[in-house]
Amino acid sequence: MLRNTKKEWLIGYILVAPFVAIYGLIFVYPTIDMFLLSFQDAPLIGAGTYVGVDNYTRLPSDRRFDTAFWNTVYFVVLTVIPGTFVALGIAMGVTRLSGRIQSLVLALFFLPYILPVSVVYRIWDWTMNFQFGIAMHVLDTLGIDRVPVFQTSTWFMPAVAFVTIWWTCGFSVLLFLAGLRAIPQDIYEAASLDNTSGWRTFRHITWPLLWPITALVLTIQLILQLKIFDQVYLFSQGGRPNDNLVMVYYIFQRAFVNNQGGRAAAIAVVLFIMVIIIAALNFQLMRMSERRK
Amino acid sequence: MSDIVLNSVSKSFGGVRVIDGISLDVPSGEFVVFLGPSGSGKSTLLRMIAGLETIDEGSLTIGGKRSEHLAPGQRDVAMVFQNYALYPHMTVRDNMAFGLKNIRMDKAQIARRVQDAARILEMDALLDRRPAQLSGGQRQRVAIGRAIVKEPAAFLFDEPLSNLDAALRVRTRVELAELHQRMQSTMIYVTHDQTEAMTLADRIVILNNCRIEQIGSPMDVYLKPASRFVAGFVGSPGMNFIKAELSGEGEQQVATLGNGSKVALQIDLPPGTYELGIRPEAVQVSQTPAATTGKAAVVERLGDRTLVHLHLDDGSALVALDSGRSQIRSGDTVHLDFDTTQLHLFDADGIAHHAK
Amino acid sequence: MTPNTIKRINWAGGIVTVLTVVIAVIWAFPLYWGIISSLKPENEVVRPYIELWPDTLTFEHYWFALTETQIGTWYINSIVTSLGVTVLTVSTSMFAGYALSQLRFPGRTVLWWLILASFMVPTQVLIINHFVLMANMSLLNSWAGIILPQLIHPVIIIVYKQFFDQVPKDYREAAAMDNASEWNVLFKIYIPMNWGVTTALSIVTFIWAWNAFLWPFLAVTRTEMMTITVGITQVFDAFGVYYARQLSAAVLAGVPVALAYLLFQRRVTQAITLSAGIKG
Repeated sequence: MLRNTKKEWLIGYILVAPFVAIYGLIFVYPTIDMFLLSFQDAPLIGAGTYVGVDNYTRLPSDRRFDTAFWNTVYFVVLTVIPGTFVALGIAMGVTRLSGRIQSLVLALFFLPYILPVSVVYRIWDWTMNFQFGIAMHVLDTLGIDRVPVFQTSTWFMPAVAFVTIWWTCGFSVLLFLAGLRAIPQDIYEAASLDNTSGWRTFRHITWPLLWPITALVLTIQLILQLKIFDQVYLFSQGGRPNDNLVMVYYIFQRAFVNNQGGRAAAIAVVLFIMVIIIAALNFQLMRMSERRK
Repeated sequence: MSDIVLNSVSKSFGGVRVIDGISLDVPSGEFVVFLGPSGSGKSTLLRMIAGLETIDEGSLTIGGKRSEHLAPGQRDVAMVFQNYALYPHMTVRDNMAFGLKNIRMDKAQIARRVQDAARILEMDALLDRRPAQLSGGQRQRVAIGRAIVKEPAAFLFDEPLSNLDAALRVRTRVELAELHQRMQSTMIYVTHDQTEAMTLADRIVILNNCRIEQIGSPMDVYLKPASRFVAGFVGSPGMNFIKAELSGEGEQQVATLGNGSKVALQIDLPPGTYELGIRPEAVQVSQTPAATTGKAAVVERLGDRTLVHLHLDDGSALVALDSGRSQIRSGDTVHLDFDTTQLHLFDADGIAHHAK
Repeated sequence: MTPNTIKRINWAGGIVTVLTVVIAVIWAFPLYWGIISSLKPENEVVRPYIELWPDTLTFEHYWFALTETQIGTWYINSIVTSLGVTVLTVSTSMFAGYALSQLRFPGRTVLWWLILASFMVPTQVLIINHFVLMANMSLLNSWAGIILPQLIHPVIIIVYKQFFDQVPKDYREAAAMDNASEWNVLFKIYIPMNWGVTTALSIVTFIWAWNAFLWPFLAVTRTEMMTITVGITQVFDAFGVYYARQLSAAVLAGVPVALAYLLFQRRVTQAITLSAGIKG
């Protein structure tokens, strides 16, 4: 097509300019700044002195970093795979329904995802309240002793993981539903003509055809849960935050509670690199499985 | 009014020539059809006139104005796209008015032009609908209407009927012919369908391999194809081609076919090996024994006529025409009369020579 | 297939269906429980047994939250900042997505790769530097300070680029024949043709912004500048240890986004699947 090159350049630049300006200010600059800050002994706000890799070398012997790192890993283990399977199960159930019932049931599963974390916190804090929570009534009827879940170190992470699955599962359900809809119905019809049992149909048709979506859900969940902060922070209020530290929480603590910008930045860089490595690994895996087809 | 003059225009896509030195003069009011197989460059040539493709070399003049460097909208031509490209979010009225609003025409005049076009195309009732609410045929009309309101020097059509079903295509073809008679405007029409070309065109431009093979009226192209390519491309069922040895003196020549039968014809050519071309309707089934015989393989009865697919003794294939009430059956031996005035000989370069 | 097997399959299917519905009800029960508790008088809330419907239905806690706390101000802060994030993110992404999809200019490929790369970067790690930046710009405790660091949503540009890529080039050519300027092509054709996706993306961006916790929590220290998601959990003396009051505030914070979802269920679903890279 006949193009006016100069004019096209100009319009292109005008159109990307607002985005590039915001992106530069809010993304590129802070990212570079984070790296620079991580090599300094600096308060949160104000000048610092260059200390080389000191902020990094002290991390291995930092007990709080240890807690934060392993708690994050623990949290990922507790949420990612269980959450994905719960979502798959829900999606398999929802996809069988049709019409209004389906959208109603889907809405019931999806509604928590749409709510702010504060609301989720309030609801579950109330539901699991040691004195009056309805969950405790359930424990009573089952003959189990009541537990102050969010005040007990053992129960804290599993409980927050449980609430997180409840909260974010709807998102994964939607992706699975889209994936299930994309499987052509005639494959199932062919399978039923071959007298394939329900489990074999799932094992040999649904599961392999759904695998790309499953991989996607696992990836999204993995990266999302590495960045966990909100729930842990809120449920720790009035509890024992130092036992419940996760990576972002520790960044927050170092920077905003201890006023150590440089050391906080070093932790941020570590998390940054963790996420990038996982994203890159995952990208490679996806490409390899694509090629195998 | 306007002439469209192309003077040795060329175009390449990444080093590959797609249009090679084409010159063409379209007088005002003429209906010209670009006919050719896919990849022949016919659409590219149309898009070069429209300004949607650049012209690498040569010049384009529209209505006396050099146009190869003008933007598409400034060339005073309007185009009907193959997929119509109606803006889905605008009503029919807005679709037609969009181009006029862009040149800041005053509202009253836009409204008048839209009304006129709607009346011509009998679609007043559709003006406030959106494209999604229209049938294929109606969308086609809107696409034409969007061109009409511009009152352009020339209309460009890019395979406009290819998205319609067979019945609608025939009807729309007739409507297009009527539209041209009424508006008397220049129209350039691209198609690969020879029936559309034959029925609509004042002149057909046959393109092959980035070049013009022949320019002529439909009957010229049909009766006196300039090349082996044109002879084979135009006409349905296609022309028969048989190897022939030419011998004789002066204009009195005898063509000997592969099976040994001889056909006498008048043509001014040196003796040698040629390809003999003859249309099925010039191969008549004879009730009396004739020089050439063949064996009927498949008999296609079309009602008004019958196509007989034959094999000659040497195995070469031939299609002959018989009346609708033909008695021939598959396996019959058939006697054939050639109309020697409708013979064409093609030399090694594919150039056609026509018998007298 | 014998009549017997048909019966068996229907049985199994029936059980799964009933089970799904039952689980869905249990799943949503905490929501119901939270709402219903907020409608009970405080003495009824703390009764030591389960009451699925209040003896006395009361709106006193809502009345309290709306009149005695700063929740009204927080609402305004949430609405303004969420709208700000939505309008700025969607419009800049729309324009940039269009330029990346339809226009050729030097630097285009580099920008595109940068956006794809930033897709992987967790914005949570930038909180320190965002805080320093906003402090230096004196934007802490301001609407702009809440909005600005929330404007990184590369996925929206990616979705826009995909949609603009899918528009057949015929429309662009038709517009060229129609003498449309580049601006008209954008504003009169490409944007209106994709209103659906703009609506969907706007709704979810609004929901994301409304629900944002970490950044608004850091950027604001003055209670009158807080957004509702931060305010209801961070201003401890606003509600005291009154569970029903706290829950009524939570319901008030959740209602706008829940409504947005229930009204635009199809659009939200579409946007969510699109944002994960699946064609809706």
